[in-house]
Amino acid sequence: MGSLLQIVFDALALGSLYALAALGIALIFGVMRLVNFAHGDVIAFSVFALLWPSVDAVAIVFAGNLPWFLLIPFALAIGAGLSVLSEIVVFRRFRRANPATMMIASFALGFVIRYFLLMLFSSRPKSISLLPALSQPVEIFGARIPLLQLITIVVTIAVLFGLIAFLRRTRFGLEMRAAAENFTMARMLGVRANRVIMGAFALSGALAAAIALILGSQTGTANIMMGANVMLMAFIATVIGGMGSLAGAVLAGFLLGAVATVMQVILPPDARAFRDAFVYGAVILVLIFRPQGLLSARGTKERV
Amino acid sequence: MSLSVARRTIATPVFLGLLLVAFALVALAVGSKPFNQTIIDIFLKVIFVVGLWVFIGNSGVISFGHTAFACLGGYVAAWTTIKPMMKGMSMPGLPDWLMQTEIPFWASAVVAAGWAALWALIFGSVLMRLSGIAASIATFAMLAMVNSIYSNWDSVTAATSSVVGIPIVRSIWPYLIAALIAVFAAWAYGISRHGLALRAARDEPTAAAASGIDIPAARLIAFVISGAIMGMGGALYAHSIGIVTPDTFYLGLAFITLSMLVVGGMGSLSGAVLGVLILSSLIQILRWLEAGVDIGTTTFALPGGVQEIALGAVMILILMFRPAGIMGNRDLSLPRKAASEPEGLKGPKT
Amino acid sequence: MSLLSLSNVSVRYGRLTAVRNVSFSMAEGEILFITGPNGAGKSSLLRAIAGVTPPAGGRIDFEGHDITGQSPEDIARLGISMVPEGRDVFGGLTIEENLMVGTGMHAHERGWKARAATELEAVYATFPILKERRHTQAGLLSGGQQQMLVIGRALMTHPRLVAIDEPSLGLAPNITDQVYERLIALQVERKLTLLIVEQSSTRAMMAGGRMMLMRGGEILLDGDARALGQSEAMQAAYFGYGEH
Repeated sequence: MGSLLQIVFDALALGSLYALAALGIALIFGVMRLVNFAHGDVIAFSVFALLWPSVDAVAIVFAGNLPWFLLIPFALAIGAGLSVLSEIVVFRRFRRANPATMMIASFALGFVIRYFLLMLFSSRPKSISLLPALSQPVEIFGARIPLLQLITIVVTIAVLFGLIAFLRRTRFGLEMRAAAENFTMARMLGVRANRVIMGAFALSGALAAAIALILGSQTGTANIMMGANVMLMAFIATVIGGMGSLAGAVLAGFLLGAVATVMQVILPPDARAFRDAFVYGAVILVLIFRPQGLLSARGTKERV
Repeated sequence: MSLSVARRTIATPVFLGLLLVAFALVALAVGSKPFNQTIIDIFLKVIFVVGLWVFIGNSGVISFGHTAFACLGGYVAAWTTIKPMMKGMSMPGLPDWLMQTEIPFWASAVVAAGWAALWALIFGSVLMRLSGIAASIATFAMLAMVNSIYSNWDSVTAATSSVVGIPIVRSIWPYLIAALIAVFAAWAYGISRHGLALRAARDEPTAAAASGIDIPAARLIAFVISGAIMGMGGALYAHSIGIVTPDTFYLGLAFITLSMLVVGGMGSLSGAVLGVLILSSLIQILRWLEAGVDIGTTTFALPGGVQEIALGAVMILILMFRPAGIMGNRDLSLPRKAASEPEGLKGPKT
Repeated sequence: MSLLSLSNVSVRYGRLTAVRNVSFSMAEGEILFITGPNGAGKSSLLRAIAGVTPPAGGRIDFEGHDITGQSPEDIARLGISMVPEGRDVFGGLTIEENLMVGTGMHAHERGWKARAATELEAVYATFPILKERRHTQAGLLSGGQQQMLVIGRALMTHPRLVAIDEPSLGLAPNITDQVYERLIALQVERKLTLLIVEQSSTRAMMAGGRMMLMRGGEILLDGDARALGQSEAMQAAYFGYGEH
């Protein structure tokens, strides 16, 4: 019972991370058909923004020392700000470009952000203690669950509900959903393209920062590559979920988390190290049989 | 391949080949070791980028995953050329026959090309059915998968630790020859029936499918050839530095090679080669600046990382202002032919 | 003064010219049908007016303002509402949400919410089926219902001019009749200016009004729909007699 529960919590916690990241990717893809390769670097940037630039192995925590009720909004604002900045400085000029060109541009932008961090902080992982109170375990039905894992799950669910409410109840949300389905049509109904796209970037960046806080507290390290793996899984989740479908991205994120966790348990010990390889292989197979995604009923329409 | 097309377009690979030979001669004239190494590095990048071009340039599908084939090739060099005794220590899980194998570097490059081509065939027969963004992401998944396997398969790849002891080849000639082979192979593929069909499919997918071109099959051929070139490049890369790790062939290399292709112009073979030469020069200048330049009595040095940042910025700017790259889909050829744009290696309409 | 006027408008996609030096103008409250065979450039012309494909040359004026090259949202906000071909409903949104998307352009005005609510009731009164299924996902509607939805959605923005691309496409004739009946009624009721693209001239002749015939990116004929429809010139122009 305890160990089964442990697996469920592991799967949910990992899935939460993937779901949040996938949501960040899908939001932007939905409104401008951009596969944003810089997303992982926005995650890393949001963690490093809490530190004072130095190349030492132990981080000099700077903004990270703020009390949590200031720390969290600060981090979210950093993520959103960087993301919006990238739209204004870079992606706005690619509106009329084809998706492949935009994708490569985002790849380049991610590279710039990563090496900017490297310049200030070096490539060595740094140990940080972010929200240290969260690493104590709690006991639920005989399973010892780290408090952070529990919070991760709760926060993710709260973010998801908040986002659903935002998308369903507000005018901005309505415009964003309409734009995600058919951008040109939404514009022909007077929906302002720049506003919607900036909103999507801001939300996406804030989600990246949320991931950064969770990852930073979970691993206790800051690493300029820390976002790469989550981002890759998030891409995969958005593809499986049907590109641009927000609900699909979230579900696929949780699905990937579950698959990875279950594989960790059922794979023979020798093969466990290759868990990610198995997940990637599974994804390629899924794409072959359902290139439009596992969870999408209708194919995505390319923007005209 | 039709002879007339070959005759009309042969100027392109000849020009590019002469350009590479000129670089080699400059290296010879300068005669300094570090400069030699720089030129070798340029030749290796030419191999990679030309390999990338064979697939991306002709099919129009962006692949982020081709460095996976370089990785496969690099480890073939490690498996087949390191002294058996050293192999036994770092990679004890290799089968006996492979453990005892010790072949010259050029043979390892050939084997690497074959090994990478085999895996390109296997991956490609699955991946080539996808197109657009799904295909790009699947190639990315392929790269991540190969990297994950090579980073964890302790007994045959030494996991993430460096595999040392690969015989280092310091002469520039083997690299020049390999780069020339890559350029001519890419040209020959480009003007072959398959290459023409694939470019037709890239520009007019519906029309090409209607006229009976089997697009997945046409892409697969390009994928295998480009995989082989990448594999060969991977093995030679290993021989140029004597060390391999899985991360040697991961996102960094993928980014650099892709930028070179984009900057030069992915629509033409000349673009691929010129992209390497231009960006390599830029990287070299930035490296000198990072190392520090004496201006009068003060040493002026850029902090580490500026090189990559500048590279990324240049790439974004080129994408903004010249999305078709510096060559803009044109190929170098004799002046009178430039006017009539040979259909051989023409890029997509822009 | 004319409401909409085009002078020498051309639309190009790469090397292909879809619309060639087209000039015409529309008076307020007018119904104008643009007909012509496939590939005549009708839809491209609408896309140029809506700002989706900026014209490669020429000038478009709306209410005396130059709108050439303006963004689709700005043009929509000036009062041109576009109903593109293929009934682009937002399939994942409910009917009511679909209708509400366009009301945001008035969000800076006082009392816009109350006005949007009144407008919504008016649309529901015109198309009762939409009210019945207001919380249904729009993707689940039948073709005819979707056509009503997109027309209703266009009306929600308080447009001066509604441009509709092929309202009869893919609809059964009796459904098309219904759609047209409502359209014409609306035009009379609200003094709307209607620009309707149809491939065949039959509808235009039935509805009456002004008709233009396009072919090869140019306007060949312009006149009263009923008179033109019966003329030999129309037949000749439509099928391109005497050119082969």
